[in-house]
This record gives sequence, C-alpha cells and structure tokens, in this order.
Amino acid sequence: MDIVLSHKIASVAELAGHDDRAWHVAWNPSKPLLATCSADKSVRLYSYTVDPSPRFSLHTSIPTGHTKTVRGIAWSPSGSTLATASFDANIGIWKREGQDENDEEAAREWECVSILEGHETECKSVAWSCSGTLLASCSRDKTVWVWEAQPDADFECMGVLMEHTQDVKYVAWHPTEEILASASYDDTIKLYLDDPSEDWFCFSTLTGHSSTVWSLAWSPNGQYLASASDDCTIRIWKRITKHEWECVLVLEDHERTVYAITWGPGKPGTTQTGGESLGWLASTGGDGRINVWAFEEHPDSTQKSPPKHTLIARLENAHGVSDVNSIAWCPRTGYEDLIATVGDDGVAKIWKVVSA
Amino acid sequence: MTSEVFNANPTIVATAAPTARRRAAHSLWLSDDEDSDIYDSDDEPEPIDADEIFDLIRSISDPEHRSMTLEQLAVVSAPQITVAPSRILIEFTPTVPHCGMSTLIGLSIRVRLLRALPTRFKVDIRVKPGSHQSEHAVNKQLNDKERVAAALENPSLVEVLETCLQGAGRRGL
Repeated sequence: MDIVLSHKIASVAELAGHDDRAWHVAWNPSKPLLATCSADKSVRLYSYTVDPSPRFSLHTSIPTGHTKTVRGIAWSPSGSTLATASFDANIGIWKREGQDENDEEAAREWECVSILEGHETECKSVAWSCSGTLLASCSRDKTVWVWEAQPDADFECMGVLMEHTQDVKYVAWHPTEEILASASYDDTIKLYLDDPSEDWFCFSTLTGHSSTVWSLAWSPNGQYLASASDDCTIRIWKRITKHEWECVLVLEDHERTVYAITWGPGKPGTTQTGGESLGWLASTGGDGRINVWAFEEHPDSTQKSPPKHTLIARLENAHGVSDVNSIAWCPRTGYEDLIATVGDDGVAKIWKVVSA
Repeated sequence: MTSEVFNANPTIVATAAPTARRRAAHSLWLSDDEDSDIYDSDDEPEPIDADEIFDLIRSISDPEHRSMTLEQLAVVSAPQITVAPSRILIEFTPTVPHCGMSTLIGLSIRVRLLRALPTRFKVDIRVKPGSHQSEHAVNKQLNDKERVAAALENPSLVEVLETCLQGAGRRGL
C-alpha cells in the first residue's frame, strides 16, 4: 500500500542480546536508561547519550532469578526502582545498590530488594501510579492487585480486584490521578478508583472490543485512553464526565493482533490544523507494523466528539518477520520523537520519527 | 491430566503415503531424522504447500489414543490446511464435539510447527467451524501467544506434549 505520509520512521539503533523472545521495553523516566525483558528470564539495561545523536550501550544484564519468563517491567516515576512481572507469578522490586543519586559509578549492581508474592499464576504486567506510591499488578489468575510502597522496600496489598472473568493482560495508571485501568482476555477494560472509606472498586467496564485487549495507553493530558486488541483495532475512549468514558474512535490499521500502544507528547509544534495537540500514538503488533498517529483536539470539539487523528508515519516489518511485542515513546524532553520496540527476535530497536 | 474418556471408540481412517511430488523434489526429506527439520541456512524463502505442512503434523499422536496419529483419527488433513505466502491456517476436527483434549491437540500442532518451520510463517490454528462446542474458547486459547508461551513453561504440560510429538518426525512414513 503506497500512502504518502508526513513523517517516516528511521532506525537509530539495534540492540541484540536476549536469547529468547523479548516481551517488554520501558524507558527510565529520569535517567538515560532503557530496560528490556525477555523469556530468557533476564532484564537488560541500556544506557544512552544523546549528544550529538542518540547512542546506546549495554549498561548491565540482570539475570533476575525469576524462574520463568519476565513478561513485564515498569520504572517508578523517580526512576530509582524497577518492577518486574514474571510468569513465575512473582513481582520483583529492583534498586541499585547503595542508591546514591548523581553517583554514576557503573560498578554498583542492581539488586532485588523485594519479591511480591500473591498471584496464583503468571503475572503479566506491572505499573506504578503517578506519585510512585502505588503499584498495580495483574495475572492469568484473573485478579488485579494494588500494592502500596512503604519505606524499606516494603509493600502492602491494598486490594485484590476480582472483576475480570479471564486472564488480565495489562494494567496502566492514569498520568495524573489515581485511576487504574486493566485490560483482559475477557475483551473488556475495567477502570478502578480508591474509595477512601472502603476499598478499591471498579467504577466502569468498557466494552466494544471483540477479542482480547492486550495493551492500554493514556493520553498525556489524561482525557483519553487508548486500547489495543486481538481484534486488530485500537479504540480511543474519551472522558465525557469525571467517571464516564466512552469509545469515540476505532482505528483499523493493523492486520494482526495489536500487542502494544504508547501515547507520548510528540514533537511540539506539529499540529496539522492548529488545534491543541494531544500528542502522538504509536502502535505495533503481530503484523510487524509500526503506525504513528498525531492526535489533536478539534477547536470546536464537543463532549463526545472524537479527536482529530492523522496517520503521520508507518513502517512495515519493523523486526523483520517477527512479531513486535512492545513499544514506548522516550520520555526525555527534546527526544519525544524517539521510540523503542522489542520483538520475538529478542532484539530491541530504537527509532526516530522524522519529517519525510 | 483428566482420566475422563471423551471418545472411547474413535473412527480410524486409512492413511496416505507422503506426497510423491515432495519425495522427488527434496531428498532431504527422506533422510529425515528427528532433529533435522526444515530450517534453511540461506535467506532465500522457499515456498511451502499444504501437503508439506500436513506431513509435519500428520504423525502427531492423539493425546487420548496415544497409539494413533492425528491423521488416522482424521483430526488433521491436507485439505484443512491453507497456505498463503507467509501465513498458514490449520483447521483441525476433534473426533467428538465435547473433546476435552482439543486445546492440547491444537497446542501440539502449534509446537510442532514452531519447531519445524522457519520463523517467517505466521500460524493460525482453529477447530473446524461447528466441530466443537467450545469452538471460540479453544480458538482463542490456541492463538494467544502469551498463553502458549506460558504453557510451554509448565513442565507437566510439556511432558504430555513431548509424548504426543515423539512420533511426529515420521511424517506419515
């Protein structure tokens, strides 16, 4: 298919090293570090410099000690702590020895400071709340757990949410509020809140996908939620009142399961029609394709109107013949056009979205 | 594993010889041993057809009737296989609509092809429409790669799978 797009996706780096399928990739929000995890049970950390152009090198490889696949990883907002979700049903909490800020001695190793046990079967995803005080995890055991981080790497379970009827694939926190979203093999998305006098509870179930929901991404302004599904579509859900979310848009630009989506601020000053920029959404999946959309709020938008969306870049076969399992925008100011992906080939790749 | 019998008296069909065309074209296949599957060392993709896919899976043992192959029980057949350039769709027919072994049969087919085919092929496995009472659930499970990956890290399940796959290399011979 030949379509003329305003941007293209250029290769920046290819980071091989995992011995098996790589499942997930996560940029450290405050330090120049990128983490990847794999069925080989390891986590690889890459450090990078951006001047004059992005360069990546292996920082360390953590064997983790998980007895099965490491499926998901998440950095705390401070960037000091990494959480790992494994098929061995446990969550690992990792910090650098002698956590001393500004001391970049490479000799200090990452150590496991805590193991969170509780899930009965494979743990598939972990996510930190915006404040870094809460951690959410989910599993094939159909549950979502909310943990509170306490001093000395202690974690207390604040709630076990048993709302889904199947495997829970992914959890994601709202960027500024304590709202949690979970995506499931039961084709639904659930949204949860903490009732100060009670427990965590599900306040909304979003239905519409016709198969497994694999991944979620909140828009940077928190007014939209994007979901990626085995039905090959991406749905955009809009906050129409404080606690009401409705599907306002369905994107159908993938030919196989959409495994991952990421929503970043995008490059400033790139709106197409002068509306307020809602950032860039990138998606990928079993078809090996990366799509990038620019989203804008319509100047005359109404409560339920969809955002304006423009496909700005596309790349086929991003990881050769392999499925692409995860995608993430670089959080670093000035480098919002960098994306990382990992695939079944065990490789991590870095891309830059540039004007065509 | 469950000891429940799903089909105590299955119908057995006569099996065909491996395809003559392939025998002539690829001597590689005749000197087959268990480990030398069809990985290509060069990068030139070689076309593959439904008969070749069928040969890879026909001799998988049925998990309920271990002495019989999926071909003998007519669970798999060449006409139920569709090959597009890099996509393979395999339908299989459980012997009875309540067959509790269907996901295991499908998983054994998936694992056999994972091991035997180059990675460029995207494989979809489904039960034949109308052949199973939990068709949607079985199909969904078999095509969820995360569940398949987790299943393959389960030692007791892998043990059962390996038993079913022991004779898979015979390819109908």
